[in-house]
Amino acid sequence: MLTVFFDLWSDKKRSKISSVKTFSSSCVFVRLQVVLKIIKHYQEEGQGSEVVQGVLLGLVVEDRLEITNCFPFPQHTEDDVDFDEVQYQMEMMRSLRHVNIDHLHVGWYQSTYYGSFVSRALLDSQFSYQHAIEESVVLIYDPIKTAQGSLCLKAYRLTPKLMEICKEKDFSPEGLKKACIGYEHMFEEVPIVIKNSHLINVLLLDLQEKSTVADKHELLNLSSSNHLEKSLQLLMDRMDDMSQDIGKYNTYCRNLSKQQQQKQQYLQRRQQENAQRQSRGEPPLPEEDISKMFKPPQAPARMDTLLIAGQINNYCQNIKEFTSQNLGKLFMAEALQGHSS
Amino acid sequence: MSRFFATGSDSESEESSSADEITPKATGTTFNKQQALLLSDDEEDTKRVVRSAKDKRFEELTNIIKTIRNAMKIRDMSKCLEEFEQLCRAFLKSKTIVDKEGVPQFYVRLLADLEDYLNQLWEDKEGKKKMNKNNAKALSTLRQKIRKYNKDFETEITSYKEVLSCREGTRGQQVPQGRCCRSRHLLQDSLRWFLRVLTMQLFVCQDEESESEDDEESEDWGSDSVDSGSESEDNEGAAASLAVVFLKKYVFSLGHGRILSLKKHKKKERLEEEADEEGDGEEGGWEKVKGGVPLVKEKPKMFAKGTEINSAVVIKKLSEILQARGKKGTDRAAQIELFHALAGISNENNLGEGILVKIKFNIVSSLYDYNPNLAAFMKPEMWKKCLECIDELLDILFNNNNIFIGENIAEDSENLAISDQPFRVRGCILTLVERMDEEFTKVMQNTDPHSQEYVDNLKDEGRVCGIIDRLLQYLESKGSTEEVCRVFLRRIMHTYYKFDYKAHRRSLGLQGETKSEQDQEESEGEDSAVIMDRLCKFIYAKDRTDRIRTCAILCHIYHHALHSRWFQARDLMLMSHLQDNIQHADPPVQILYNRTMVQLGICAFRQGMIKDAHNALLDIQSSGRAKELLGQGLLMRNMQERNAEQEKIEKRRQVPFHMHINLELLECVYLVSAMLLEIPYMAAHEFDARRRMISKQFHHQLRVGERQPLLGPPESMREHVVAASKAMKMGDWKTCHSFIINEKMNSKVWDLFPEAQRVQEMLVRKIQEESLRTYLFTYSSVYDSISMKTLSEMFELDLPTVHSIISKMIINEELMASLDQPTQTVVMHRTEPTSLQNMALQLAEKLGGLVENNERVFDLKQGVYGGYFNRDHKGGYQQKQNYQRGGYRTQNQSSY
Repeated sequence: MLTVFFDLWSDKKRSKISSVKTFSSSCVFVRLQVVLKIIKHYQEEGQGSEVVQGVLLGLVVEDRLEITNCFPFPQHTEDDVDFDEVQYQMEMMRSLRHVNIDHLHVGWYQSTYYGSFVSRALLDSQFSYQHAIEESVVLIYDPIKTAQGSLCLKAYRLTPKLMEICKEKDFSPEGLKKACIGYEHMFEEVPIVIKNSHLINVLLLDLQEKSTVADKHELLNLSSSNHLEKSLQLLMDRMDDMSQDIGKYNTYCRNLSKQQQQKQQYLQRRQQENAQRQSRGEPPLPEEDISKMFKPPQAPARMDTLLIAGQINNYCQNIKEFTSQNLGKLFMAEALQGHSS
Repeated sequence: MSRFFATGSDSESEESSSADEITPKATGTTFNKQQALLLSDDEEDTKRVVRSAKDKRFEELTNIIKTIRNAMKIRDMSKCLEEFEQLCRAFLKSKTIVDKEGVPQFYVRLLADLEDYLNQLWEDKEGKKKMNKNNAKALSTLRQKIRKYNKDFETEITSYKEVLSCREGTRGQQVPQGRCCRSRHLLQDSLRWFLRVLTMQLFVCQDEESESEDDEESEDWGSDSVDSGSESEDNEGAAASLAVVFLKKYVFSLGHGRILSLKKHKKKERLEEEADEEGDGEEGGWEKVKGGVPLVKEKPKMFAKGTEINSAVVIKKLSEILQARGKKGTDRAAQIELFHALAGISNENNLGEGILVKIKFNIVSSLYDYNPNLAAFMKPEMWKKCLECIDELLDILFNNNNIFIGENIAEDSENLAISDQPFRVRGCILTLVERMDEEFTKVMQNTDPHSQEYVDNLKDEGRVCGIIDRLLQYLESKGSTEEVCRVFLRRIMHTYYKFDYKAHRRSLGLQGETKSEQDQEESEGEDSAVIMDRLCKFIYAKDRTDRIRTCAILCHIYHHALHSRWFQARDLMLMSHLQDNIQHADPPVQILYNRTMVQLGICAFRQGMIKDAHNALLDIQSSGRAKELLGQGLLMRNMQERNAEQEKIEKRRQVPFHMHINLELLECVYLVSAMLLEIPYMAAHEFDARRRMISKQFHHQLRVGERQPLLGPPESMREHVVAASKAMKMGDWKTCHSFIINEKMNSKVWDLFPEAQRVQEMLVRKIQEESLRTYLFTYSSVYDSISMKTLSEMFELDLPTVHSIISKMIINEELMASLDQPTQTVVMHRTEPTSLQNMALQLAEKLGGLVENNERVFDLKQGVYGGYFNRDHKGGYQQKQNYQRGGYRTQNQSSY
């Protein structure tokens, strides 16, 4: 756990570099307690591709969001239907307030499996959060990467553009085109800073002195194929989905253009006829509702495609990151080997 | 007889009681009606024996007339109308009889009376006003109708009216006897009047009552005239004399109701007389039996005693019986009896073979007729009779060279009797035999295949074959090629599915162990293969109908396949090009085709041609309806897909049980072939994204096996194959072998082959080879090199075989390795991509697809907005695409 802790700093620095200016809070301050709680939650309840979720509590200070506490959503099976989540949350917050803990709802967290989190469900729930509480974020915790030696915790927020689109609920191709949104503009990552009280820092430094050096360094593990295979597998699945979506869109486009042509032909014929009638001195044909005659085909919702693209992007980033790290490690190992021999 | 009297006295008492009371008119009539019905019932009972169609029809008419008269009496016009319409219909029905006999008097009488009555009613304005609406309406319609209708009977009616006026005259004069009347009816009338006068003299009756009595009587007389209608004029004298007797008795009678019983009495006597007449009627040349109408009577005698039985009479009789054929109500069993009797008679009297042949033909066809339903099968005794008959018929035909039979000989150009000319008989023996064969199939279809009865029935197969053989001989000398083809096909159909054990043994060089077996062998004649060859080749050469040739080819192939002559069978199948157009054939031929394909597949399997076996069986097995396709049973399906009618048709197509192909054997052969092909293939293409299944059904079985939560030792044949496949996947050929060949499987499947031992040896060898291949595919990545010696020990194959298998794999680029000759080892190249690389390759392929899809979207946009982008341009994209994909491929290859 300690190694994890010390890696945090590097992570923090990295996220600082890639920070993006946003309107409400430029960065997220997270208490160590929250991080530990999330990790604990996953280790206790999540396994494999299962996902754990919870509520983040905290407050907004100036332009930054401080997350000071959290609590998990309880796992509940489908058997107990009468379980009320909202009720549970309210109860929980009330109880926390009684013990004088920040009780303001500032977002939620979720674990992820090989970086697959960009989904419709996440979009919907984050939208409803952000709709109600403007500054709320979602923390994504990747347990697998963490197990490999580097804590992976990321905060995301929907971009204002996406908020607009979600508000209008217009996911048609035209709507998305008008909004000028691409997969890269859907989520904005908010830099995370893990901040502790000085007392804790002191304690940590103290502990660091006392702790023995861990004999097993996950970080230096050279095996890569397992992780890569999994990622590739997931990536391929998404690719299939994408192909399918494109196929659908393709048919839609073809249908649309065919109809357009028909419409044009019809109009032309109409015009000619009218011209003839006019030359004969007859009254022109009455105007008909063309949109009724040519009902445009049902457009496929493009939001899913966008999300898939986002997810693919995410996977690619992950793989890129992983491979570059691994390459580095391999070179290092080679150099070490050469040096020692 | 006594019974008749008993009823007579019964009715007497009733009648007298009704006469005693003075009842209102309406009730009286109803009572009378009852009486009449009762009487007619009695008549039916006693007269059933001699009633002709005429009697029946006329009785129907009189019954209706009675109801009409009753209705007239109570002025029920609607009833009248209804009944009148019925009467017209009934009259139309008996048209044929009427044409012969002339319009019956009572009918005319009714028409006349009815018209008069209606006119009278019509005139009666007061009465009409009183009528209810329905009745009035009916009256007018009826009046119009009868007017129209009576126009057809104008002459009859006028003559009747004449007579009526005459009667009026006699009434006035009261001199009945002397009148010489032209018609029978008048005679009866006069008789009646005579009686009436007497009655009046004896008992002083009121005029009215006698009037009503008159009505009743006239009805009864009417019905009487039905019977007497058939009598000839001479009878009238008898009737007159009877009247005297009658009168005598009448004197003693007390109530005038007695008249009825007396009348019956008289009728009875007349009947007796008639019977007597019939008995000795032959002398007088009187033949009532042949009353023009075909009579089917259960009379034991065909001809009366003493009739000179010659061919003309017999032929006449025959045609008479034939006329009744197919009519409703004809007793078919009796007809067969009649034919038999006739055959006996003609035999006794030596009427010549011509007639006998003709009669035999008719017996057989009436035997076939016995079941009106096409689906029903013959009763055993019928069947036996049929076989015997056909046998006898063939006997006659063989013994007499001068009989010509044919279906194209016209009925009138037949020559049955004149013996110095060749006989010419209409009829087709081939059709009869074919039908017999079909009946045999039907009998077999409808017998429970697991019963002793089935075995017994199957014993008749020999006789059927015998008959077909004899017919074959007969037709070979006499029939046309077409007929010969047909009978050859029948012969083939009875041969092709039988395994010739004798020939099989002989080919193995075995002699019969015992003396009796040797004898049997010698007496057996030529091999079935030789027969098949001869018959089929004849059909190929001579047949002009496509169907017979197709069937013959299929049977020939089947027979070849059954006797493991794989190459002949295959070549014949390929040469016939049946696969291309079999879907246009009718279902029975398709079933035959399916059977042949299956047999071909099994044959290939026995010969070790696994791939051929698999291909041949694939179509049948992949549908999952093998049972239905082979005509070996119906699948359970809901009624929407198949109604009762279709089901019946399908049932008729079923192949009898003794010709069935064992379905479990079929499935096992298929699954084992699929296993031998699929397992190495799966091992070789483990990472191939485009891998296709060779056999879906086999995969299905594997999945079913995997789904089982608890895996016990295999029980069924399928479980055995699945277990064996799993073992083979690991390259464990010994386990695989023990799963495929063990006692359970032997008894279920392998022992069904004629050369079980050979098949098993072949199978073991195949399992060893394919396991070796699978092992190499699966584990080659683990090895740097393998010694071939080790492999040959592992799989118990000799070294050259291992060498050849591995060489083949290397040549086919299935195994990336090379052989090191001096050390006898296989050196792996280790160029197989790892799983990660495989994955990357797959991903690349998918990306290619994605890009292609994307381009297409882009194209469309260009097309819409640009408008000038044509197909060539599109082709350009695709070319580029291909180029790119080619690039991937070269990359792939270079990576090996």
